[in-house]
Amino acid sequence: MLEAHSPLAEAETFTANGVSLSETPGFTLTQFAGDEKALKKALGKLPKTVGIALEHDGQTFLRIGPKQLWVLGGDAKAGDGVYLTPLSSGRTRFLLEGSRARDVLAACVLIDFNPTHFKSGQFVMTGIHHTPVTIHCVGENSFHIYALRTFALNVWEWLCDVANGLN
Amino acid sequence: MTAFRRTPAGGRIDRSKSLAFTYNGKSVTGFEGDIIASALLANNHNIIGRSFKYHRPRGFLSAGLEEPNGLFTIGEGAETVPNVIGTTTKLIAGMKVKSQNAWPSPTFDVMAINSLASPLFTAGFYYKTFMGPTKKSWMFFEPFIRRAAGLGKATADKGRERFDTTNSFCDVLVIGSGPAGLAAALTAGRAGLRVVLAEQDCEIGGAFLSSKLEQHETWRNEIHNELQSLKNIRILTNATVQGLYDHNQAVISIGANRLEVLQAKTIIHATGAFERPLVFNNNDKPGVMLAGSLRTYLNRYALAPKRRAVIVTNNDSAYDVAFDLAEADVAVTVAECRAQPSGAVLARAAQLGIAVFPNSGIADVLGNKQLQAVKLSGRHAVTIECDVLGMSGGWNPVVHLTSHGGIKPVYNENIASFVPGGFAAGQFGAGGVMGQFGLLQSIRDGVSAADQAVAYLEGKPSKNKVVEPAFGEDRAYAIEPQWVVTGTDKKAFVDFQNDVTLSDVKQAHQEGYKSVEHLKRYTTLGMGTDQGKTSNINALAIMAEMRGETISATGTTTFRPPFAPLSIGAIAGRGIGKHFRPTRRSPLHDWHKNNGAVFIEAGLWQRAWFYDWAGPTAETAYIQEMQLVRSGVGISDVSTLGKIDVQGPDAAEFLNRVYVNGFAKLPVGKARYGVMLNDDGVVLDDGTTSRISDTQFYMTTTTAQAGEVMSWLEYLLQCHWPELDVHVASLTDEWGGMAVSGPKSRVALQLAFPDEDVSNEALPYMGVKDISFGGTIVRLLRLSFSGELAYEVHCPANYVISLWSHIMQAAKSLDIKPYGLEALASLRIEKGHVAGLELDHRNSLDDLGLGKMASTQKDYVGRALRQREYLQAPERWSLVGLELLDEGKKIRGGSILFSATDEIKGHGRGYITSVTWSTELNKFIALGLYKGGLKHEGEEIIAAFPLKNEQVRLKIVSPHFIDKQGERLHA
Repeated sequence: MLEAHSPLAEAETFTANGVSLSETPGFTLTQFAGDEKALKKALGKLPKTVGIALEHDGQTFLRIGPKQLWVLGGDAKAGDGVYLTPLSSGRTRFLLEGSRARDVLAACVLIDFNPTHFKSGQFVMTGIHHTPVTIHCVGENSFHIYALRTFALNVWEWLCDVANGLN
Repeated sequence: MTAFRRTPAGGRIDRSKSLAFTYNGKSVTGFEGDIIASALLANNHNIIGRSFKYHRPRGFLSAGLEEPNGLFTIGEGAETVPNVIGTTTKLIAGMKVKSQNAWPSPTFDVMAINSLASPLFTAGFYYKTFMGPTKKSWMFFEPFIRRAAGLGKATADKGRERFDTTNSFCDVLVIGSGPAGLAAALTAGRAGLRVVLAEQDCEIGGAFLSSKLEQHETWRNEIHNELQSLKNIRILTNATVQGLYDHNQAVISIGANRLEVLQAKTIIHATGAFERPLVFNNNDKPGVMLAGSLRTYLNRYALAPKRRAVIVTNNDSAYDVAFDLAEADVAVTVAECRAQPSGAVLARAAQLGIAVFPNSGIADVLGNKQLQAVKLSGRHAVTIECDVLGMSGGWNPVVHLTSHGGIKPVYNENIASFVPGGFAAGQFGAGGVMGQFGLLQSIRDGVSAADQAVAYLEGKPSKNKVVEPAFGEDRAYAIEPQWVVTGTDKKAFVDFQNDVTLSDVKQAHQEGYKSVEHLKRYTTLGMGTDQGKTSNINALAIMAEMRGETISATGTTTFRPPFAPLSIGAIAGRGIGKHFRPTRRSPLHDWHKNNGAVFIEAGLWQRAWFYDWAGPTAETAYIQEMQLVRSGVGISDVSTLGKIDVQGPDAAEFLNRVYVNGFAKLPVGKARYGVMLNDDGVVLDDGTTSRISDTQFYMTTTTAQAGEVMSWLEYLLQCHWPELDVHVASLTDEWGGMAVSGPKSRVALQLAFPDEDVSNEALPYMGVKDISFGGTIVRLLRLSFSGELAYEVHCPANYVISLWSHIMQAAKSLDIKPYGLEALASLRIEKGHVAGLELDHRNSLDDLGLGKMASTQKDYVGRALRQREYLQAPERWSLVGLELLDEGKKIRGGSILFSATDEIKGHGRGYITSVTWSTELNKFIALGLYKGGLKHEGEEIIAAFPLKNEQVRLKIVSPHFIDKQGERLHA
């Protein structure tokens, strides 16, 4: 069997200044593409808008654009007119959490991360240090950050740097 | 003689906390609560620098951000910070403060000799004096000028300080925490809105901080306490709003090291006003200060003129200064420019023993290096010995931020200054910035502005407004503008920081610089770190007078960000050192790192350049690695290639339109080399695309163009061909890949995948097959970039290190070794494959020798425009191979190509794009673009490299140096 190797293999979990940053590997991410009808038939209920995740049947659905969804977890099965692209290797997932987690995100992205504006279940597709990331609020002060694998260590170091600078 | 004393009580300093610091190496003490300026003045350091051009002695003019003179260098070594404003910087124990632009000291400065040559340094002297006698004169003179007339010197050493940036959001941004700002912030805060109150001072309160009245301090405290108690209000001190941008975005510097981008829904400008100097003889002598600053030094920093002060004013506000000074036992004389000040102020002045001389002014300031006495003008032409002269020419609303969005301020006759010419949507003004200089009126204004902001956001006014305090009605401002005191026969300064005098402004006008914008650039007025905060209005009023126009018609110069000086470090933030730009790492990076790879930056990528098994330097190692591939088997990381998943029933049709060659009939299990053009008919990119199924293709692009091609495909699908049912997704990060190359590569693969048939029959050249191996999908592609028998092996990036290691282990008996980017790029030169250096967005298909690939049977992007005359011209620079004829020499990339008979001059007939040592031919070879291309095959030409003054002889040959028949590929 081939062994999986993380781009963060040599990075250590960061904990300081009210922030914890760790990798949460072992997820399944699949991009589904197709027209709305076909996607619905294949996946069931779909999120209506970009930015709010929907969970059902043990899977999490994130609409990332017209005719495109990310599906986390579960077995990916194509249907008629539905095209799958596995992305589990292409993204590295971090868990950023803690009382200052929102401050870390605010220092990285010009998006309102105030708890009244960015609540559990919401996500944004944005960039950290010039590289694309998806930030998904999974708890009061907990966030999954999906970074491109090839930039993952760079984003990780950037986040650690931000967290180190919190005062 | 200028002299100050500490008052025995009062002020906002803590007399129990003494702070020791050094000034120009000497020990000095101040108190907690002091700024650098107050601490220096308390220690009788009144001459604190020299002026820009003339090196005249200068003292503090103000007690705030508008200060033109009091700039210092703080710290030493790597922690040096130049041009720190002494009138806003809090004193810290142990601070090392140094004066600037003076040697050996501000009190005795050798460069003061410049004053003798002052007739030379008039307006525009740079342009007149140093432009001749030769064209290069300026280049000669400039270093000397810069040295003589400079500000502080930044250090090039890396300091320990951290610089940072962040972002934030709010409903209401209140800029300024004076009476108007406090009232506005609290009113908006009570309405439940998210409020940010940004104050550039280290304390909130604005004008209240300069007041000694207990009722002012009580009200300030009450408001401050309530603001602090509200969770929806964020108070920022030492926070200067540096710029306002579209959609109410503010950039705020916080302290020296931090920058915050704040997105506000509404903005309330409560920025107050700066006091304006008066223009008269020797008005720059140390001891001549803005009147309001004397009040600040007295009431905030407990610093009073030693015995006597003279105040010169054209408005009533300066009487607050005079009264406070008199109550602090300072003898005060007022040179009143107006004929008839109000009865109320005269009565109070009389009570306090203040002598008021109406219809007066300042004829001259006497003293050697600093003020000793002033000579009054008008009927009362007396000379008065004094410690300080406070001047008030009125107040200029701080309109800078209101005009960053392009709305010019307008002149208001009532206050003799400019007020905002309007506001962008969601912005409001209150207090001094609107020309309301009274405390009560400012508070009313603040409440009203907050009310408007609340209504703007919520559609209804606020309910719980700040109640107006019982301060008593404001005194009238009563200004009578006075732009120039008559009889200025000596230097009368308009711009203190740039040494621009009244006569400079007059001269500029006489020489035809009649626009304020031209005046600024010709005289340097309004430039520098203070950006003319004390000089602009006087200058344009004087200009208006000379032009015989109204001030309104003359207008202001343009206010641009930043509002105040800020450090470059704060702008750069965290984006320095290793974070200067993002770094991209291949999924094989960790293997490379642990197995002797030496890395090189290629775009954002960190790529394995060469491996230490092959040698200690790239120059020798890549040759070993090339020989490995030509004779055995090597393995190389090609994960950086762009990879795109193209799916859908119309995928084949889509690719057929994108590529110049046909893809519609590409069989499943086959790959094809393709070239795509942009819509100008110029080559955009190349790569191989494989058909995985009827509806799925696996496209690869060059490393450099991966992102651009992905965007291009999305653009075509969304904008040009929405009718095509095709879906694209980037796989660049999802899949990793390796090239297994060399005559023994098939054996290596067979050893690695013993259950798979990789024979020439089962997997022929350009064949593709997906296999299942080790629990994952592995894609075998019979492709060759090196020109040898070769394969690419791709798999999901999580497993690529494991797969690479497996192949290395399986083919160990073949002595398989890794080869790096340098060898990879060199092998392709021998084969004549074009790459990023040739695909530079300027070349056509024909330039690259690929014209025959283009289909004549179908349409494709760029087809029409590639036929245009310009791209079909026979003498275009086209791809050629080049061989070095001179033994013992080498070819340099970028060399300019000339024919053997050309004069070696100019841009030549082409240039060299790629160079390598050929292990096959045992000589240096190159690819290049040459005018007329292969029509000149066989000709001897010259490659010139002017930077090193080198020339070598080359021969034009086919770009395919090896295996022209492709026998190795098909082996």
